[in-house]
Amino acid sequence: MRIGTIAFANLKRRKGKALFLVAGIGIGIGTAVALLSLSGSLREEIGSQLDRFGANIVVTPHSDSLSLEYGGISVAGVAFDEHRLTGEDVAGVLRIPYRKRLSVIAPKLLGAVEVEGRKTLLAGVDFSSELRLKRWWRLTGGKPEAADDVLLGYDVARAVSAIEPLPGAAGRGRPNGEHHPASEERFRIARERLIVAGREHRIAGVIGQTGGAEDRMVFASLGHVQDLLGKPGQLSVIEISALCKDCPIEDIVAQIRKELPHARASAIQQSVRARTEAVDRLTRFSAVVSAVVLAIGALMVFTTMMSSVVERTREIGVLRAIGFRRTHIIKGLMIEVAVISVAGGVLGWAAGLLASRLALPYFTEAGAQIEVRASLALFAVAVALSTGMVSSVYPAIRASRLDPSEAVRHV
Amino acid sequence: MSFVVVENVGKTYSDRGSRTGATVLRNVSARLGEGEFVCLMGPSGSGKSTLLTILGAMNHPSEGKVVIDGIDVYALSDERRADFRSEYLGFVFQQHHLMPYLNAIENAMLPLATLRLGAAEKRRRALAVLEKVGLAGKASRLPNQLSGGEQGRLAIARAIVNDPPLVLADEPTGTLDTKTGGEIMKLFLDLNARGQTIFMVTHNPANARLAHRTLHIRDGALAPESDCPREQTSRTPADGLDSELPALMIDRSGDFDSLSGKPFGD
Repeated sequence: MRIGTIAFANLKRRKGKALFLVAGIGIGIGTAVALLSLSGSLREEIGSQLDRFGANIVVTPHSDSLSLEYGGISVAGVAFDEHRLTGEDVAGVLRIPYRKRLSVIAPKLLGAVEVEGRKTLLAGVDFSSELRLKRWWRLTGGKPEAADDVLLGYDVARAVSAIEPLPGAAGRGRPNGEHHPASEERFRIARERLIVAGREHRIAGVIGQTGGAEDRMVFASLGHVQDLLGKPGQLSVIEISALCKDCPIEDIVAQIRKELPHARASAIQQSVRARTEAVDRLTRFSAVVSAVVLAIGALMVFTTMMSSVVERTREIGVLRAIGFRRTHIIKGLMIEVAVISVAGGVLGWAAGLLASRLALPYFTEAGAQIEVRASLALFAVAVALSTGMVSSVYPAIRASRLDPSEAVRHV
Repeated sequence: MSFVVVENVGKTYSDRGSRTGATVLRNVSARLGEGEFVCLMGPSGSGKSTLLTILGAMNHPSEGKVVIDGIDVYALSDERRADFRSEYLGFVFQQHHLMPYLNAIENAMLPLATLRLGAAEKRRRALAVLEKVGLAGKASRLPNQLSGGEQGRLAIARAIVNDPPLVLADEPTGTLDTKTGGEIMKLFLDLNARGQTIFMVTHNPANARLAHRTLHIRDGALAPESDCPREQTSRTPADGLDSELPALMIDRSGDFDSLSGKPFGD
């Protein structure tokens, strides 16, 4: 017989109340676990979605001159070629330790050319990587296949009368990579060929209006543009999309800088900041809701323990009378609460995990998963335990201060 | 030298909302010798239970002091006083106050729960006291599976499992029929015969007649003692207490005429 024996016997005796408390703590912990798991999955998903929004790292040549801009990114090489990027630099990027985090590497050469009498920015790109990077592009027509195939930005296409409005068509285009009927677009391609930099090219497709720099650009395959501009093997910029759910993008940038000392690598802060803010908001929301639910659970433990102490006034008085110290009374009650809390924590963790799995399809795209993590289980039990213990401190102290003579007097 | 010294003890319960409190005890002084069996009698509300709890080191007197075995009980800290109760005192309550969720042996072991003894030793001691009170065969029963008399005996077992030098009892036969009450009194006499000092609050004059002395309390003050020594022939087991007690009880009060006169356990 130890104090723990009495605590366990008491729990067995008051099964209903114990189960009620376990359920209360379990619900609190379960809610917290479910929210944390869901927000964790949403974080991952938002991270991967943001990664899909485009490049978050840009590599450009060093330049001392005022630079031209491409999509908000300064492009030194368009104006002056003091330092040049080449295909070797792409290989260099692929040598960094974090190379597995790089999902898309899109090298391009930019140059100003004449398109039917207008100065226009021509971009030589690797279409397979470019189209993976620019998932928001909606193409009318098809993907460029031949070397002299070009994609026209919306403004360029309009300026050269390459498109005409499609009467009665209100539908929007589909994401790139899918060939779709022109009838779904708001416009259709009105001509097949176009003179770019003095050479005739086939208009393979037109990029739907994006509001970005690409609206005013012409895209052709990288090798072809290098030939056209007379810059074989040269690059103006390397756009990189890093899969950075939680990875330190600044570290990747640092590694690229180390690998390519002659180039300038920089993170597109806006993208990083947007992702961080979205994730932070989700985490804060989950934390606040979890805290509120846990506070309600703590209040429930507190009131139940207080009523339990009142119920057991005589019993506690007897224990005090026969030589139990105040600390023994507190210890006994705390053992009871600890058992209840741990059970509630484990139950809550399991229930929360189950609930988050069931709820996940309603919040995220198919394929998202809830991981079973030992750290979350430990966290759940630790939070349950501390919530139960903290809520029971006052009732336990009050119990220990019961006057034994008063407690045993009223029979 | 007296084993228990109560010196000018007074107790006033403060009354919330009032400057004056209710005075329950006034200037109470008494002494108990080691091995003595003393009863305290008095009408309801006279301060019997208050004096018992003050003697029991769990109710701080408003004035005066209580010295047990040379220890000024209320000079001790609260936690040390709890240790003192554990070591020196055994309580038997009128309603027994057994823990309904613990079986007989666990109830008997309760005062040992806070002691650093091995589980086997605790069990051995509890079984020994259950044997002493005739409940060894019912060690695994819950209190509600025991009769009133058995519950009383279990309460005594719990009180003596620590082998305390002073046993305090608050009307231990108050809720029992005369036969069962007689069994309980027999146990107290037995304990006393083995050297334990007993202080018992009772309403029953028959019980009081079995004590060495009876103190009378009225309106919070002790009346002059009326000595009523028992017949010494009945006090020690060697003198045949076990077989003679029931007859003695019948002789003294006539209250226990339902007793068979057989020794306990038979």
